[in-house]
Amino acid sequence: MKRLLVVVAVVGALGALFLFGLLRGQPDRAIASARLDKRMPNFDLAVHAPFRTQYGSSFEFDSEGLGNPMVVNFWATWCIPCRQEAPVLEAAWRRYGDQVTIVGVQTQERNAQGGVEFINEFGLTFPNLIDEDSRVSIDWGLFGVPETYFIRADGTLAYKHTGIVNQDVLDEQIGALLQ
Amino acid sequence: MSPRPLLLLALLALLMAAQAQEAASQLEARTFEIAAQLRCPVCVSESVAQSSSPTSIQMRQIVQEQLEQGRSEAQILAFFQERYGDWILLEPPKRGLYLLVWILPLVAALVGLTALVVFVRRWTRASKEPIEVDESDLKRVRDALAD
Repeated sequence: MKRLLVVVAVVGALGALFLFGLLRGQPDRAIASARLDKRMPNFDLAVHAPFRTQYGSSFEFDSEGLGNPMVVNFWATWCIPCRQEAPVLEAAWRRYGDQVTIVGVQTQERNAQGGVEFINEFGLTFPNLIDEDSRVSIDWGLFGVPETYFIRADGTLAYKHTGIVNQDVLDEQIGALLQ
Repeated sequence: MSPRPLLLLALLALLMAAQAQEAASQLEARTFEIAAQLRCPVCVSESVAQSSSPTSIQMRQIVQEQLEQGRSEAQILAFFQERYGDWILLEPPKRGLYLLVWILPLVAALVGLTALVVFVRRWTRASKEPIEVDESDLKRVRDALAD
């Protein structure tokens, strides 16, 4: 009986180790941002063609002079979840746009034309930028797309959402930013 | 102009080109050495050195630029840690809870070795002990062998 317990314990420990190894191999998409509560890095990115009349050719993120809180959503044309969340972000922009700035950033690809088609397909009216060399996404500690960053008015990161962002998350996080 | 100075110039140019080539290949090797310590953020079980994703390519570019600026390996790794946390390091840092990752295998090896020594001793001791056999059983075996 004692020997059986030892065998079970050893097999269990090895199984747990094996499972840990398997899970560790997967990208931990829900990992918290290392920048939480810290000021986010500044950037200056090209604005997608449909928004140039209103926002100019480049958009500057200056963490020390935001004015309003900000929601920054990173996306790519090949990303299916990004397509699912685009209408939700547009709805949030229409609802909170006067209090919160929502910005989309196309990243991890060099496909400006595809980006414009994406914007037109979903009728996006909030400013969308292009991070062609993925430098901003690296600077912001992005793991993949979609990821959405909720920035306080003082430029610090309040929350990073990994994966599809839905209306509930947007309402909750934007509500927290506005408090 | 005599051909000798021209030849010397050509040799000098060749030497400089070879040096530049050597420096470039050293820089590339060093870049990949550091990139091999970073985990690709958009891949599964791949380092930044192994991955061909746009993010990893750009991260290698950043490593190279920082090496060119004279930054040390520790400074470059810290740059990525600041953005991605300890997660980005393929080799866990030797501090805090991460120390367990380094210590536990040694402890496990020690425990295994001790267990092995104990078992081997027990087996050898057991093999030295005389085996008690009933005389009648022994006789039956001898008879069977004699047949």
